[in-house]
Amino acid sequence: MSLLELKNVSKIYGDLKALDSVNVHVDKGEWVAIMGPSGSGKSTMMNIIGCMDRPTYGEVLLDGVDIAKESSKKLTDIRRDKIGLIFQQFHMVNYLTAVENVMVSQYYHSMPDEQEALEALGRVGLRERAHHLPSQLSGGEQQRVCVARALINHPELILADEPTGNLDEANENIVLDLFAQLHAEGTTLIVVTHDPEVADAAQRTIVLEHGKVAREVINEHFDEQQKEWLARLKTENKRVMPV
Amino acid sequence: MLIALLSIGIGATILAGLVTIYVDVPRQMGAQFRSFGANMLILSDGEKGMSKAQLDKALENIPAGQLVGAAPYRYVRVDMTTRQQSFTAAGTDFDQITKTSPYFSIEGRYPENPREVLVGKEIAETIGIREGSGMELTWQPAAGETAGDPSGDRQPGAILSGSAEGWSGGTVYVTVKLDDSSRIASLTIDAGTQTPEIGGLTQTDDSFNSQFVGKSLPLTLGEDVDALSGATITSTAVVEALNTARNTQSAGTAMTIKYTVTGILATGGEEESYVFMSLEDMAGLTGSDAVDVAELSVSASAEELETYAEQITENTDGVRARLVKRVTRSETAVLGKLQSLVFLVTAVVLILTMICVSTTMMAVVSERRREIGLRKALGASDGSIRTEFLGEGMFLGLLGGVLGAVLGFAFAQVVSVNVFGSSITFQPLLLPTAVIVSMGVAALSCLQPIKRAVAIDPAIVLKDE
Ligand SMILES: Nc1ncnc2c1ncn2[C@@H]1O[C@H](COP(=O)(O)OP(=O)(O)OP(=O)(O)O)[C@@H](O)[C@H]1O
Ligand SMILES: [Mg+2]
Repeated sequence: MSLLELKNVSKIYGDLKALDSVNVHVDKGEWVAIMGPSGSGKSTMMNIIGCMDRPTYGEVLLDGVDIAKESSKKLTDIRRDKIGLIFQQFHMVNYLTAVENVMVSQYYHSMPDEQEALEALGRVGLRERAHHLPSQLSGGEQQRVCVARALINHPELILADEPTGNLDEANENIVLDLFAQLHAEGTTLIVVTHDPEVADAAQRTIVLEHGKVAREVINEHFDEQQKEWLARLKTENKRVMPV
Repeated sequence: MLIALLSIGIGATILAGLVTIYVDVPRQMGAQFRSFGANMLILSDGEKGMSKAQLDKALENIPAGQLVGAAPYRYVRVDMTTRQQSFTAAGTDFDQITKTSPYFSIEGRYPENPREVLVGKEIAETIGIREGSGMELTWQPAAGETAGDPSGDRQPGAILSGSAEGWSGGTVYVTVKLDDSSRIASLTIDAGTQTPEIGGLTQTDDSFNSQFVGKSLPLTLGEDVDALSGATITSTAVVEALNTARNTQSAGTAMTIKYTVTGILATGGEEESYVFMSLEDMAGLTGSDAVDVAELSVSASAEELETYAEQITENTDGVRARLVKRVTRSETAVLGKLQSLVFLVTAVVLILTMICVSTTMMAVVSERRREIGLRKALGASDGSIRTEFLGEGMFLGLLGGVLGAVLGFAFAQVVSVNVFGSSITFQPLLLPTAVIVSMGVAALSCLQPIKRAVAIDPAIVLKDE
């Protein structure tokens, strides 16, 4: 079933076509990677999907609603209710503790609930670091807090722009573990990356070049891969989150 | 943030201070302006001046609580023959002068004893006189003023003064007031230069003093009056002084009395060219205790003053009152100017505060733009961003307002004590006023920064910087 559909989406800055008649289709529960050289329009596309920007032309259907035509107030509502965002630069509020950062997301969505926020931190393995400030956390830990923040409101779609861009291999794997778990839960994931390993973890990779979809690569081994991931997670005694 | 708080605090301080002073100033100003001089004059209708009784009757028209002071003045021309100078001498009541003319600044002290004078600075400089110097003044009656008649008797009701040498070269002074039939009605003897016991006796011993009452001048000691026992020389001097007084002042001859200067008067005005003495001394010199004019300081509004002046003129024979327009008018004018000045300063301070707070909040917004972008990306609506910043601003306003009310009151207190020399009471309304105004100012100054914050694009969080 279709969650997201980009139809002939273009984004034009002056005479620069950041996106040029892009057609993309993402099903509910799919895990999609987006690759492409710098300046190819990946972030531009994420902004549009994330309801933070509007295309110059084209339709963007999210759950059947054309978000290209919605008011910015409505876009904020959609973003808050349906989308979880993860960024390359983590972006935590630097004077708030880990758990408070998670609660910021709850605050705008519904009601801050510390217990729930602590549970979410538990899911990313940071239960004991909950009351640390961002400055007291490593980059990997900060990114895991951001994952917890992104999933706290149970979004249908998680958008991650270079989530592992600033992480070492070990932390990259932890984040990929979390993505695998989210995927197992049925969350739709769109991950922008430069890293082929991160892209290989996804079901499908869309490659952008000069604002156009250059090609799509289906990961033939995804199902086996996923099984292996989950098996390994089980042996490592990591909890798989209930759906 | 701290800067914003401080600027609101300072703004509120100045505001609260000014408002406090402003509320308190009319009260203070009233007293202040009175210190710039009298605001009403009582004048005699005739040539001869008014009597003490007339003046008292006139003053009855002013409620006691509102009459700050009433200084009578009698002006005559006197000569200082030793220096060949001539000045205006003013007889007055020094107790009242301190009330009607508090700006009189004296080097030395006010006269307290008989034959002491206050000399204007200009005179003092011209003739090189100082505090403690002696000064001989001569009053020469003008042709029309001649009090005596050809027989040498003073007119009924006249006052005579004279002196004579007593024990061991000291001078004895006497002043008598004549009754309607030119007999002695009362007598004052100043024998301070004699031995202390006798000096004291001449003032207190009724049996000595009272024997003069009812007698006509000249007198002979041993016949008309008896000497004070053990003080024949002093008693002789008293009688001689009385006879001298009668003789020298009869037939319009000049009267010369030696005075001691107790202080030099500086006012910056024409008073500096006067010699001031008590009304009693003036009576001793000129033989009359009439008053030319009385300067009144009345604590009342312009309309009230007008009414009082009319009443006095109407109710008192031979006397009229008029207002010293200069002072009453300038009082109102200055108050009006002060009011606009306070408003102006307040407005400027508020605008400056607003600019400062606005700039600081602007800086805060741009410093936190990533965080604001993040919050928006996480789903914060424009409304909640607005509320957050407004809340922050209002909180600053609240803190600043409380701080300002307290500091402002302290500031006003200091100003009041230093400028007006009196303390002020805390206005309970000041606190809520300061808080509301500073919260309002804070809210207003947050408008632009909030606009800026709301305009922040959540997509900035996706841009790496
Ligand atoms: N606000 C903007 N105004 C003008 N040009 C823009 C704007 N945002 C992006 N661009 C341009 O659009 C093109 C696509 O930018 P985009 O950020 O989508 O690239 P990207 O694929 O995310 O690159 P990277 O891998 O470096 O993050 C770039 O050439 C960029 O300069
Ligand atoms: Mg990018």
